[in-house]
Amino acid sequence: MSKPIFEAVDNLATGGITVMALNSLDFVIPGQWQNTVGFENTIKVVTGTDDPEYIQAIGERAVALYNDKSQGYQTAMWLYETVDAGSSALGAAAMASKVGESIPLLGFLNKITPKAETAQTIDLGVKLVAEIVAYCQINGLPGDSVGDFLAALMDQYSGPSLMRMAALICFDGLVPLGPDFIIKAIDGLSGMGPDQLEGNKTFQGIRDVIPGGDSGGQLGFINQSMDSVRGWMSSFVEDRGLSPEMVVSNLRGFVEVADDKLDYLGAFIDMSTNYYSHTGTQTLAISLIERAAAEM
Amino acid sequence: MIFSNWRVNWRKALIPIVLSLVLFIPGCFQKEPSKFAQVQKDTTARGAEKAVAKNATQGSEFNKFFPADADGFDRVFSQEKKGFTEAKLNKGGKNVAVLSISDTTSLPAAANKYQKSTEKLSGFPLLVETPMKSTGVLVKKFQVKVASRDASFTADNRMTWLKKFNLDGLSKLK
Repeated sequence: MSKPIFEAVDNLATGGITVMALNSLDFVIPGQWQNTVGFENTIKVVTGTDDPEYIQAIGERAVALYNDKSQGYQTAMWLYETVDAGSSALGAAAMASKVGESIPLLGFLNKITPKAETAQTIDLGVKLVAEIVAYCQINGLPGDSVGDFLAALMDQYSGPSLMRMAALICFDGLVPLGPDFIIKAIDGLSGMGPDQLEGNKTFQGIRDVIPGGDSGGQLGFINQSMDSVRGWMSSFVEDRGLSPEMVVSNLRGFVEVADDKLDYLGAFIDMSTNYYSHTGTQTLAISLIERAAAEM
Repeated sequence: MIFSNWRVNWRKALIPIVLSLVLFIPGCFQKEPSKFAQVQKDTTARGAEKAVAKNATQGSEFNKFFPADADGFDRVFSQEKKGFTEAKLNKGGKNVAVLSISDTTSLPAAANKYQKSTEKLSGFPLLVETPMKSTGVLVKKFQVKVASRDASFTADNRMTWLKKFNLDGLSKLK
């Protein structure tokens, strides 16, 4: 049985590397994300009520909705948590791969560890697909509604959902793959075979819920998803003039890093943060509370 | 001898002190059970009733009764689940209100609260819930609600938008 939703929201971190990393992205979406934690506090923030009876009633309905598995909220939570867990493993693999490239003695590591860039490319694609599927689960759409997701991304994404996308672009795109990460990811994914995808831990973690049938079809779905959001992502980066250097200089408050070690930084963030499940829990809590308040 | 007796007594005396500390200290750190622990237990028990009734109307059936964009407000659908559909009302990109239709079959208490209603809208019972900054109307088994999410969206605004729903159409939905 999964953790109660009120516990998940009560236990959200108020500090630490995840929160510091997310706060460092405030320059990307100024003032649009506050680290709202605590179940009752979230109810107050979302609905604007201070009435204890209403807070209790909304909370109880939200807990019940979350525990009704047919409603998809638990699947969404599982997705957010699983892509975080998967990327921790990837962090280790990316580090090992980099060592393999620079130290000839350990060159054999290249045979068993994917190259950092390939692994990062898959990770970016799989995380994006996890976002699409989780969005559909939370909002009640069929799991392959890329069009609906794209419309929501442009119109509705705000607060923790928008922050998660900003972090995906910065921490899983710009920092590890560089300024042309979108083209790199699209080219990398379209030139990839299903076997490469199958070897990726993040993919393995959530493959059961990725639309497309077999891994070939799922790779097709990942490609289609990347292709659909490329316009949105490009504008997001261009409108703000985002660059890896900007992201890094904002991270320098708490991470010391040399300019030529950006892939190490990407791996470090990957291993040491859980930004997907942190903001995912916040997204989920808001949707549940909105619905509970409306149904009461 | 005296000395060893003292040692034995000292040890004896220590036992209740240590024991009381062992029992007392965890008590200090014991967290109060959550106010939501009971509902968690009830809704995860074997055979627990589902939060959403099996025969609740699909949310997609509700969409056509929602008002369209108007007066500079954008209506954007945000959730469409069994027994529930929600749309956000945004102005200048900012969310100012939430519009919803829900099937009260899943939550009879939601319908029952309209018994205290003293006003009507198009013949349907109307209820203003000030602590929630929301105004609702019960159309047969369906609850239509407008809730403010910004101070600029007043109770009058909520009434205006409630009137824009196709309540008559909704009342014919089975």
